[in-house]
Amino acid sequence: MFDTLYSMFRLSLKAIAANKMRAALTSLGIVIGVAAVITMLAVGSGTQKSMAERFSRFGTNILYLRQPWDLDESISSPKDVTMTDVLAIRKLPGVEAAAPYINSGFEVKYGYTSTSLDVLATDTDIFKTYDWELESGRYFNEKEVDSYAQVMVLGATAAQTIFNDMDPLDRTVVLDDIPFKVIGLMKKNGQGGMGFDMDEGALIPYTTGKVKMNAGWNSSDRRALDRVIIRVKDFNTIEDTKLDIMNTVRNTHRIHPLAEDDFQLDDFASFVEEAKSASKTMGILLGVIGAVSLLVGGIGVMNIMLVSVTERTREIGIRMAIGATSADIRLQFLAEAVTLSCIGGLIGVVLGVGISLFVEAHSTSIPVQLSLFSIVLSVGFSAATGVFFGFYPAYKASKLTPIDALRYE
Amino acid sequence: MPLIDTQHLFKIYKLGDVEVRALNDVSVSVERGEFVAVMGPSGSGKSTFMNILGCLDKPTSGKYILDGIDVTATDLSKLAGVRNRKIGFVFQGFNLIKRTTAVENVELPMIYNHTPMHLRREKAMEALKAVGLEKRAYHLPNQLSGGQQQRVAIARSLVCDAPIIFADEPTGNLDTKMSIEVMELFTRLNKEMGKTIILITHEPDIAEYAGRLIKFKDGQKISDERK
Ligand SMILES: Nc1ncnc2c1ncn2[C@@H]1O[C@H](COP(=O)(O)OP(=O)(O)O)[C@@H](O)[C@H]1O
Ligand SMILES: [Mg+2]
Repeated sequence: MFDTLYSMFRLSLKAIAANKMRAALTSLGIVIGVAAVITMLAVGSGTQKSMAERFSRFGTNILYLRQPWDLDESISSPKDVTMTDVLAIRKLPGVEAAAPYINSGFEVKYGYTSTSLDVLATDTDIFKTYDWELESGRYFNEKEVDSYAQVMVLGATAAQTIFNDMDPLDRTVVLDDIPFKVIGLMKKNGQGGMGFDMDEGALIPYTTGKVKMNAGWNSSDRRALDRVIIRVKDFNTIEDTKLDIMNTVRNTHRIHPLAEDDFQLDDFASFVEEAKSASKTMGILLGVIGAVSLLVGGIGVMNIMLVSVTERTREIGIRMAIGATSADIRLQFLAEAVTLSCIGGLIGVVLGVGISLFVEAHSTSIPVQLSLFSIVLSVGFSAATGVFFGFYPAYKASKLTPIDALRYE
Repeated sequence: MPLIDTQHLFKIYKLGDVEVRALNDVSVSVERGEFVAVMGPSGSGKSTFMNILGCLDKPTSGKYILDGIDVTATDLSKLAGVRNRKIGFVFQGFNLIKRTTAVENVELPMIYNHTPMHLRREKAMEALKAVGLEKRAYHLPNQLSGGQQQRVAIARSLVCDAPIIFADEPTGNLDTKMSIEVMELFTRLNKEMGKTIILITHEPDIAEYAGRLIKFKDGQKISDERK
């Protein structure tokens, strides 16, 4: 039995080798399909992994308050999240800190150098929410926030970009024509963040940002914030604290008791949910892309196998004359189809792994994680494609009668 | 009991309204070890007859007993084993598989009776030796002369020790010298190995090698003489 299979496999390779160009073109669909699936799985699981890492570093004590992106149309006059909310939330017993959060990109100039900078306008509570650490200098204080001070705490990577190896402390950079003095330099934390990456960015007082640089933030309400970041004191009572916060905000927004919220309060769990549903969507998308390309590849295999059966009708006749059964013939063509699609699958794996490694090496923003599972899965699927789409041509070959096959011109 | 025994074979092709009687009531029996030549004009039904004898085709009616087995009662697809064990074929067009070396072509029937791999090569080389081509074992068919290709085909027909060889105009594509080579080989297989050979030809010189001559005309056997 093993002998027979081995012989079949060698025959298949021979038949495929006889028409290398044709085989290559035929298996191209499968090559592309498998490569796409592997790459996308690698990027997908890489993204998922890095998201999960971010979330866990982020801390489970953090809550986000913001206006929903998909605001319910039934809410007639939704109110922005503002400092009023921040101040009210800060008073709650379960809340450790609540900081305004306005995130915007700016061009920053120092001397002749000019580069883009991710700026977070906030207040002193931000230092109590995130676990950032100072490298040198100091954070801005409440007095500076109240007095619209033009001061800045700079992230490590951003400092390197702007100042090279110079000490940034007490130097002045220009944001949107307004000079800011660098008073603090953060340690590199390498964490990224939710939307804002401290390493690449800078912190300024929200007052300065709102009043002196209004251009960056577009909202009808000049007091509007992007979000409020809240740190709760005790994770065990986070649900109670959330209820307190929601009631507080409903109060400050003067929402009728029967009306819907015009805000959204996210916690760690809801981020995880969001990420899960995003990766589920990605999974479905992947499934569709994989299925379509394997379908296309499979039809290619079927087409070429039908051609091959026709071309080799006489050979089939000879084989039958010397003792091949219908099952032998079927097995031979099936083996050929499977070999063809597996070769395509293997080339696809090599290509997909290559692309993934290339992306990993050349991109910092796209995380990649290759898995053996995805490789085994896609090779398995290409083999299955070969069986499925090779079956009909093989069946057709096996149904020929010896004399008709031998007579075929 | 004859090795081959046909009784009232008919093969009728219907082409629209026209009926072609490719075989019209043919009864022939062949004993073990006979060397039979079948002659007749083109279209007289020789190939049709041989294809039925070789279990490649079925008669429309009539009975065919091969080595005691009623093959007309059996489905063609079930006869692969019979073809493999009892019958060797040699065709006018050689019918070797392209891109496959001589020895691999000879091995082919043994793949289908599941001979172990190491034995296959050994037996194939033996068969090639019997037809004097052991030196050409690793040549591809298109690297061999017509006579050599036909000898490879003969080696293939020998390799499973089948008692019968059917040859449909085996010298039809060969020049005189090669024809003689091939016919001497058949004679040797018949005399020394006791193979039963049924050979179609339309050349009287070739038929001379056989010990019995059957003539066909219009699908009928018109004469049958032993020397
Ligand atoms: N598949 C077929 N369909 C229709 N007619 C056929 C077929 N095969 C053979 N015949 C006819 O049967 C007759 C005998 O053919 P064949 O046995 O090949 O003759 P021979 O080998 O003696 O030249 C011929 O008239 C031929 O046209
Ligand atoms: Mg003929």
